[in-house]
Amino acid sequence: MNQSFYLAIKYLQYYKIRTLVLVGAIGLILYLPLGLQRLIVESEDQMMARADNTPLIIGAKGNSTDLVINTLYFEQTKIDGLQFKNIEAIDEIGFGFSIPIISVFKARGFPIIGTNLDYFHFRDLKIGKGINLRYVGECVIGKKVAERLNLSPGDSLVSSPENFLDLAGVYPLQMKVVGILESTDTPDDHAIFTDLKTNWIIMGLGHGHQDLKNVNDPSLVLERDSAKVIANSKLFIYNKVDGKEMESFHFHGDINNYPITSILFIPENHKASTLLRGRFETGEFKEQIVVPSLIVENLLQKIFQVKQIFNTAFILVGIATLFILGLIIILTLRLRKDELYTMFSIGSSKNKTFEIIGFELFITALMSVVVMLVLYSFTGLFVDYFIHQFII
Amino acid sequence: MKNYLLFATLIILVSCGLDKGSKVKADKVKPVVVTVNYPLYYFAGRIGGELIQLEYPIPADVDPAYWIPDDDDLEIYQSADIILANGANYAKWMNNVSLPSSRVVNTTSSVKEKYIALEDVATHSHGAEGEHEHTGYAFTTWLDFEIAAVQAQAVKDELVKKFPDNKEELEANYELLKKDILNLHKLMQDVALLLEYQPVIGSHPVYQYLAKAYSLNIQSVHFEPDEMPSDDQWKEFDGIMEHHPARIMFWEDEPMPGVKEILNKKEIKTVVFNPCSNKIYDLDFLEAMKKNINNLSKLE
Repeated sequence: MNQSFYLAIKYLQYYKIRTLVLVGAIGLILYLPLGLQRLIVESEDQMMARADNTPLIIGAKGNSTDLVINTLYFEQTKIDGLQFKNIEAIDEIGFGFSIPIISVFKARGFPIIGTNLDYFHFRDLKIGKGINLRYVGECVIGKKVAERLNLSPGDSLVSSPENFLDLAGVYPLQMKVVGILESTDTPDDHAIFTDLKTNWIIMGLGHGHQDLKNVNDPSLVLERDSAKVIANSKLFIYNKVDGKEMESFHFHGDINNYPITSILFIPENHKASTLLRGRFETGEFKEQIVVPSLIVENLLQKIFQVKQIFNTAFILVGIATLFILGLIIILTLRLRKDELYTMFSIGSSKNKTFEIIGFELFITALMSVVVMLVLYSFTGLFVDYFIHQFII
Repeated sequence: MKNYLLFATLIILVSCGLDKGSKVKADKVKPVVVTVNYPLYYFAGRIGGELIQLEYPIPADVDPAYWIPDDDDLEIYQSADIILANGANYAKWMNNVSLPSSRVVNTTSSVKEKYIALEDVATHSHGAEGEHEHTGYAFTTWLDFEIAAVQAQAVKDELVKKFPDNKEELEANYELLKKDILNLHKLMQDVALLLEYQPVIGSHPVYQYLAKAYSLNIQSVHFEPDEMPSDDQWKEFDGIMEHHPARIMFWEDEPMPGVKEILNKKEIKTVVFNPCSNKIYDLDFLEAMKKNINNLSKLE
């Protein structure tokens, strides 16, 4: 037995490349359906967990899937927004409270999410390093953002301008990184969180500039009287909110009319949730209210119908591989005709010869299973990529 | 015997420890309420009483409207269970910080139509948004005592949400406070009759709601009680006096003797009407307002 095993090992070692190709091919064939299954199940779980943990989302009428994808997974699809005053109107009813979300801008490829401190409490996000948001112009970043951009508390992050050709448009804002979140393996790891007001500053709705009452440069002032000072475009606008400049930051117009992307609504209980949905259905509100888990479930069902096609393909490929494998074994035995004859000639029995070949096949199969397990263990690392590449 | 003594001592120590622990726990259960000015602090204290833990991080010598919290103070606001805001853009620092909005209560949200817009504007233009103005609202809303009663009601409503089981107690406390505030309203209405149509000058633009609610004809300058106004400020004062010949000047606090002397020469009487934005050393809100009204009633 030991001698057979030894000879089988020696044979496989001698034909290294052929063995490796065989092991790789069988390993991959075994892995693909299992790996895909795991990717699908984990993606489904991850997406559903996020959706299940979010009771209600309110947004402008339109594509409800885009609304949910934007609000939950921060994929910044173009959707119609709401106004800040919608929050007051909804909260006034008293069924729970709203958490506003602005998901429009990016900084170095990562989404900037404008919200308030309620979001951190609601998602149970903990600060791993540094502190939470305190002042406008600050940001707290997800663990993955910190790792990929190599940022620490105290560093700066500049918002990406909407349009590089619009020189007179919205200025990029230099935000101060004050904290890094603990990892939660959710889209929060890939986001940059700021206060809602910081997002409005990026939009150009709020800004800080030189004090008009104390400007010395006459070329800045177009008109001045006891009631008002009119300045021109030469007035210096701060591109970061820091120290004394913070006091000069202000907003124009009525904040109630300022835009937000959507609202996470946290009802007091299930009854409150149902009653609020009823109010939307009866047309009391013009906006739409959605239950994220229903939308995501529907989305996943549609996407994973493809899973059946994949499964069928893998079964067919598996059968084909088995045939090829059989063919390879038969051809190999033919090629080894002389070798087998020699073995018989030197006294090896038929059984012994089959035992050696059996061990060769067994070792090859075992190595293939190991390859499959190794690949399978790495699958978990690609769930995020899979979700972003193939689902949202 | 020694063992018994040791055991007894241990039991006493443990029970003391437990008592202390449970007290800390009981303190923690009380929701922390923090306010942006003294009137709201007073209202919350009168209504919430022992049910709440009231915090007031604003130092005594500042105007809460212009005060800016430092990091420690901000943490008190951020971690509070209820943040009572005044509305009308009072405490502008709130615009520049991150707060948990679900815990911020704008006590004047139901009377927004009563906000008084300020006239001073700075207009400038830059970027895509074009020309725009810096405007704002007058914010000493509680000087209209009817609005003050509404603010007290907003405080009560929020506390009832927090303590539905103590609704009756909170309602009773609120009714008593409301009665006191509306009594001030009545007193102020009576006193205001003495000043009807008379031009009055205010040392600071904080009397807009008082003027509107009680039909007072007030125009304001920017004088500080503890500072001698500059020549420019006196010029501005004289300019106002040309079309607004006031014989009475409202001050937030007793003005400097030198200023009083100049005003006396101009035949202008000074009267202290403290808006009570911040804590006054020896008076509560109600007492301070009664004193203000009493000061007005002494005017001939």
